[in-house]
Amino acid sequence: MPVTEPVLCKRIPTAPWGDPKDRHVVSYDEYVKTGGYESLEKALSMKPAEVVDLVKESQLRGRGGAGFPCGLKWTFLPEPDGGRRYLALNCDEAEPCTFKDRLLIDFDPHLVLEGVAIACYACQLDTAYFFIRGEYHKQAKVVQNAIDEAYAHGIFGKQGLLKGKSKQAVECYLHRSAGAYICGEETGMLECIEGKRGWPRIKPPFPAVQGLFGRPTIINNVETLAALCPIVKKGKDWWASMGCESSIGAPPSYGPKLMGVSGHVNKPGVYEVDLGIKLSTLINDFAGGIRGGKKFKGAIPGGVSMGVLGPDQFDAEMDFDIGRTNQLLGLGTACPTIFDEDTDMVAVARNICRFFANESCGQCTPCREGTSWTYKILCRIEQGNGTSKDLDMLLEIAGSMGIVSGTTICGLADGNNWAVRTIVNKFRSEFEARVRPSLVAVGVTVGAS
Amino acid sequence: MAWKTKQSATIEIDKRSEPYLTQQMQDRFTEELLPRYETKHASLIPILHEIQDEYRCIPYQAMIEIATFLELKPADVLDTASFYEEFSIEKLGKYVIGVCQSVACEICGHQAILDHVRKKLDLEPHETTDDGKFTLLTLECLGSCDTAPVALVNDELHENLTIEKLDQIMENLPD
Ligand SMILES: Cc1cc2nc3c(=O)[nH]c(=O)nc-3n(C[C@H](O)[C@H](O)[C@H](O)COP(=O)(O)O)c2cc1C
Ligand code: SF4
Ligand code: FES
Repeated sequence: MPVTEPVLCKRIPTAPWGDPKDRHVVSYDEYVKTGGYESLEKALSMKPAEVVDLVKESQLRGRGGAGFPCGLKWTFLPEPDGGRRYLALNCDEAEPCTFKDRLLIDFDPHLVLEGVAIACYACQLDTAYFFIRGEYHKQAKVVQNAIDEAYAHGIFGKQGLLKGKSKQAVECYLHRSAGAYICGEETGMLECIEGKRGWPRIKPPFPAVQGLFGRPTIINNVETLAALCPIVKKGKDWWASMGCESSIGAPPSYGPKLMGVSGHVNKPGVYEVDLGIKLSTLINDFAGGIRGGKKFKGAIPGGVSMGVLGPDQFDAEMDFDIGRTNQLLGLGTACPTIFDEDTDMVAVARNICRFFANESCGQCTPCREGTSWTYKILCRIEQGNGTSKDLDMLLEIAGSMGIVSGTTICGLADGNNWAVRTIVNKFRSEFEARVRPSLVAVGVTVGAS
Repeated sequence: MAWKTKQSATIEIDKRSEPYLTQQMQDRFTEELLPRYETKHASLIPILHEIQDEYRCIPYQAMIEIATFLELKPADVLDTASFYEEFSIEKLGKYVIGVCQSVACEICGHQAILDHVRKKLDLEPHETTDDGKFTLLTLECLGSCDTAPVALVNDELHENLTIEKLDQIMENLPD
């Protein structure tokens, strides 16, 4: 059964169920009148461990990019020892082409806060930091206002969750970042909350064991936590009725997913659809088709870190297996950016490498140097000054950086790696047409007599 | 650029007698901010935000004052302040125009927008007009790719930009 009604977008008018023009910030009162905080109440009637089990059985996978099973992550926490335990909510959303979390906090911030409260109850966490990127100025105000409302109505605060229905008290604070993509990486985010440079940490130790201020910490994405509310209310079977099974024997991709479509389409925007939807269906049936009746050339499936889909991958199924089925790093944030036939893929690659070169935190040499080298090579090729040797060097540098190749601390470098390799490999002729052939080496040793 | 290196710790700095971190600010931070975090160090970023908003930059003297207030070394404050794009040691203009240059905006025409501001203000990115009114920045994805091209003018995001729209926005900014 596909998604038949809006789930996370229940209060956010979204096509085909509603008109985006009718969107407004849902206040606490409106939220409660429309069934809000009932999921929290239901969760509080269960034992924390039962909530964890429910989330585990629902097979909810993280919506922040990696698709890691949410319930499993929660079980990595040690038993409470009386000390502090934290939740850090990741609303950095700085990955180019990604804008789905913004929809939730723009209009229905209490849905996210209810998810925060449920997660804190299930995992027995006492302090939640709502980490939001610095550029989300308006959103920070909306969220702060919602947090204030939640305190005023006894959701958070000393009296215990939901006006003291649970003895467990949770404090929730907004923490604004200040313009650094790397603070979206979970341990970079923890450093930022601690007031330091957002330098990702070497793992292990993992944050669940030793995270914020050295204490157990759970990190989840905005959309992941928002999904807890409908899962608690309607159960795991209902959740599993949406989305899809894996076609390659991997774990399933259940549930609806917010997909933000941008680029060369007629109706860009965020749509709530089944995981597993074909990209072509998303583009044609939801996003109004490709602009100007042009042909599809390629797409970024969900953030520039994931690589690109080529012209023959228009029907790619947007589920968590997309990496393996379509030669990508993964589904990422599932916010596709569409390129029409006139797009210059060399320019796209150059733009993406410039982004990574700007945002590398500089700790690991292969990333700090590699991102700017790939950027410089691509600038050369774009301007017509590249040689075919540049193309080989580009692939070699890109292919050697990242956690997968074991040369860096965090996944930013893998993003650069995959973006470069997939664009060059899937659009090779375009690159070759732009480079001059290198002079063929002959058997002369420079300096030999 | 997140990995730009820190300035030397042994530079001479401008000082003024009046503190940047006023007593009122300190009292408010002590009451509202410090209790939110386990360490004093963790209050640094919210404090830097306030200083940046108030003075349009983070003067070195303010870093020393913040360090004293949070019981840190001034170098710790510089370390953090120099990492984040939104904090600037040089004073920014009254209006900071940040044009998004990431991929969704580029393929939807960000270059025309950027070139227009450049010519109009005779500025290159990261420069400020002599009268201190405008700073031009190029920013990475602002999380609004569905309404590309976009730009931030101070705290406000402007979407679906055209040259005409941008002219209008800039004309409506008071001196
Ligand atoms: C360079 C980099 C940037 C990231 N940026 C974000 C981000 O903006 N938002 C996000 O939710 N996760 C981001 N992630 C993923 C987080 O590290 C983390 O996996 C995620 O927040 C976990 O949440 P989830 O399990 O609910 O998906 C990023 C990862 C890397 C390596
Ligand atoms: S991979 Fe890049 S961004 Fe990540 S820690 Fe290393 S240098 Fe920093
Ligand atoms: S690319 Fe400009 S807002 Fe995302």
